[in-house]
Amino acid sequence: MTEDVHTNGGTDSHETGGHDDGGHLPPKSSVKRWLVTTNHKDVGILYMITALFFLVFGGILAFMIRMQLWQSGPFILTDLGYNQIVTAHGLLMVFWFLSPFAFGLANYLVPLQIGADDLAFPRLNAMSYWLYLFSGLLLAISFFQGSSLPTGWTLYAPLNLPAFIPPVAELGSLSAIIALALFIASVTIGSVNFITTMYRMRAEGLRMRDIPLFSISILLTVWMMLFAFAALLAALMLLSFDHIFAGEVGTGYFGSEEGGSLLWTHLFWFFGHPEVYIVFFPALGVMAEVVQTFSGRRLVGRKWFIIAMALVAIQSFIVWMHHMFLTAINLPIKTVIMVTTIGISLPFDLMVFALIYTMIKGQVRWKTPFLFVLGSIVLFIIGGITGVFLGAIVLDYSFRGTYWVVAHFHYTMASGAVALVGGIYYWYPKITGKMYNEFLGKVHFVAAFVGFNLLYFPMFVVWDTPRRWFHYNGTVAPEIPFTNITLFETGFTIWHQMATVGAFVFGFSFLIMFYNLFVSLYSDRVVDESPWAYTGSAEWAVSSPPPEGNFPGTPSFATGKLSFLSRAETDGGTETAATDGGVAQATEAHEQHVDHTSWWPLAMSLTALILGLGISGLETSYFIWPFLFAIPAFVAFIGIFGARSDGYTHLHGAFMGASMPLLALFALVFHLHHGIPGGLAEANQYFWISLIGITSGLGTLVAMGYESFNVPTPTMSEQWPFEGVSNTKLGMWVFLGSDIILFGAFIGSYIFMRIRAGWTNWHHIAELNGLEHHPVWPGLLNTYLLLASSFTVVLALAYAKRGSKRGTVGALSVTFIGATLFLANKGIEWVDLYIRQGWQFDSGPAASTFYLTTGLHAAHVVVGMLIMLFLIARAYTGAYWSEGENGHTIEYFGLYWHFVDIVWLFLFPLFYILF
Amino acid sequence: MTSIRTYTIIFGALMAVSTTQAALEFVGLLEAQYWIAFALIIGLSVVKAVTVAGWYMHMREEPRAITYLALAGLLGVVALTAGAGYSVL
Repeated sequence: MTEDVHTNGGTDSHETGGHDDGGHLPPKSSVKRWLVTTNHKDVGILYMITALFFLVFGGILAFMIRMQLWQSGPFILTDLGYNQIVTAHGLLMVFWFLSPFAFGLANYLVPLQIGADDLAFPRLNAMSYWLYLFSGLLLAISFFQGSSLPTGWTLYAPLNLPAFIPPVAELGSLSAIIALALFIASVTIGSVNFITTMYRMRAEGLRMRDIPLFSISILLTVWMMLFAFAALLAALMLLSFDHIFAGEVGTGYFGSEEGGSLLWTHLFWFFGHPEVYIVFFPALGVMAEVVQTFSGRRLVGRKWFIIAMALVAIQSFIVWMHHMFLTAINLPIKTVIMVTTIGISLPFDLMVFALIYTMIKGQVRWKTPFLFVLGSIVLFIIGGITGVFLGAIVLDYSFRGTYWVVAHFHYTMASGAVALVGGIYYWYPKITGKMYNEFLGKVHFVAAFVGFNLLYFPMFVVWDTPRRWFHYNGTVAPEIPFTNITLFETGFTIWHQMATVGAFVFGFSFLIMFYNLFVSLYSDRVVDESPWAYTGSAEWAVSSPPPEGNFPGTPSFATGKLSFLSRAETDGGTETAATDGGVAQATEAHEQHVDHTSWWPLAMSLTALILGLGISGLETSYFIWPFLFAIPAFVAFIGIFGARSDGYTHLHGAFMGASMPLLALFALVFHLHHGIPGGLAEANQYFWISLIGITSGLGTLVAMGYESFNVPTPTMSEQWPFEGVSNTKLGMWVFLGSDIILFGAFIGSYIFMRIRAGWTNWHHIAELNGLEHHPVWPGLLNTYLLLASSFTVVLALAYAKRGSKRGTVGALSVTFIGATLFLANKGIEWVDLYIRQGWQFDSGPAASTFYLTTGLHAAHVVVGMLIMLFLIARAYTGAYWSEGENGHTIEYFGLYWHFVDIVWLFLFPLFYILF
Repeated sequence: MTSIRTYTIIFGALMAVSTTQAALEFVGLLEAQYWIAFALIIGLSVVKAVTVAGWYMHMREEPRAITYLALAGLLGVVALTAGAGYSVL
């Protein structure tokens, strides 16, 4: 048996016991199980149930919209109420229902389909879920802060700015924005996890091209998520900045005269168009699986189907401006985008034909999952064709902002939901071990299909109803587009009433499903491995529900088909242990399976909710203080948790001791600024909520870092094309991939605004806005400091590999000092610019882009410094450099730190030399 | 694994290139030939970034797929920036 366990978070801690401290999973009947579980199947079920909760939430809001439109004038909702509900309905359905539901399925199925015991980072997987749940709850809370966001799900500028949001909605709007940002944190962690898992943990002999189509659709989805959501995160961070620091029109980012509102549409739709496929691809994966199973044959043109999906995933990043044909972008770019848009419909044609031809060549069995998928294909074809209209510039001029768009995207998005419902019925027997009621399933399908079309098709007829209006003109007769021909003399109202009736039929059909699924759970229709006559993927080869460890033996495809090797033969197979930040332990391999538990994902996500809520109402002058006051607590936490985990050393004592003078220092500066106790007494409750959120958040971070948590990586797995890269290292690289987009969007925003203003005119604009002098040398000095700190990090790694404690701790400490000097130099520079020269955050686009882009970078430096404190404490007690460790954790941290360095290498010329 | 000596030489080179970038402004090249100076300065930043990624982040020693991963992110940034920037020219 191989016991080559390395510790990505610290030393082996044999002394703390033979098994992981988290303990075994409690039984499913125990509530505790669902709070502490990190098992992928449990997390999958949590995702699905929560997503269905948000479906009902968003569905009730949809009923309210349809009730309001029952008549043309005022009805049940106030104007602001309608705007909030339209916004929250869109956000909930797109973000909190569709993708997470698909991710519930993916969590449950992907490891089974690729022959893995679990995801690469189970604890981070649990954190993805809890962040998802709490981000949704923060959106719900925003309704109780006066009013939620009233902008529509696209949050178009300048309506998304405080100046254009009613005062009553200011707090709730920022909460909703932060809720979205938290959701993105969840999505990014999930993407990193799935990408790492699918490239590194496939069963022996399973090539990438051979993994089942649902898993392939998820792989492409998470790649798109990784890049697209990072752009939205950048947009939301800039928007939060506008809310907190730049209240006046004409300042900040999206209120700027240098293309501010256009910038929002670029950033939003650079995310937003891939998002359409992010939502739809998992449904496409379900379609492929279900069509194969119920046609009784492999998908026709499977290879081309996959190539087409990959093409769409890539093309999705170059079509975003077709959502912007009615903005000020120039005609040549519109033409290019029209071509790419028409181009992206072609791979979809191929996919639809492959699905249809598979049905024709096979023997169709008309079971409920198939009916839903077939219905979904029909609806998607209608949605797709009506979408091509919108991709043509001239047609879009007429259709933009009308119910044509509403009808089109519901036919595509909600058809995806219909396919996912097919997925529920398809995998329900696998997940529960029970068969649903087929008759009720078919009744559900008929009701849903009729209700769907009754709901959305009339919207095509009354296409010229303006989108998002709470009142419409009910007397106008609907016309055929681009003609004066009226088909019906009825006026708009009757069609909207039809849609409202359809909404209730569609909604009611889901009650049939809930009833069916619930009652079937207690039925005696037990299923074995598979209730279906033809299946092709590995989840159907194990019992229903699958055993805790997924497979009866180690799965292998080496012979060309699935077989299970005995665990005894392969259990030597733990070459390395990825710990997603925790402390690894050397344990018996057969104990290292899937029953890890941890409270920290739940706890940390809860603190994120508290912090998000706090920031929503944090006054600008108090903004920095909760974060500063939390730093001494973080230092003390390292001392306390470190002493408990690794045994007390003088360094732990020093950490605990240093926290007090640090707190005193911050308190003194606070006193000079606001006065103690007066300043504290005047701080509103959001200050205290923020303080509790960030302090406890950092506490949970340290606790998680010291928690003993250990996940084995099997040796017998396919790892192309990332052989030789450990899971944690790949995870870090994937995360950096998304960080490239985040920083890139910030830098891209700067370049966009500067081009808009006239590139070489930039300095002049800054001077008009109060800048007197912006020397290069502080930037040059900081370049030297960061390069030096990068150098010392590689030295720390080199010393760790040589087994030198002194060298490792020393080099890390010098790196920390370098980073401190970097921040000090920046602080002096900012004081000069901001206070002495009066060139403030909202002093025009040059100031906003300078402070925010270099500020985001500084925030990365601060995060790096906090991690460094942890690393120094651990290295001091033997981690990283002692025998067998080889400095892996320092290498992973180094990747992050060097990346931060690289970003600065571009900020230095852009914001200093070429300013 | 690269030797400490190589790391040190690279560090020295990075410091020298950074100084050169600032020097291009000090000698007045930006005033005289803005776009040539621009290309030189950004070009030198690219050289530095590739050096840090290649040697300090050990990208040279990793499977090529890691490089492609980073390039994919970079391509996304270029698409966004170039598309958005061109749209308002």
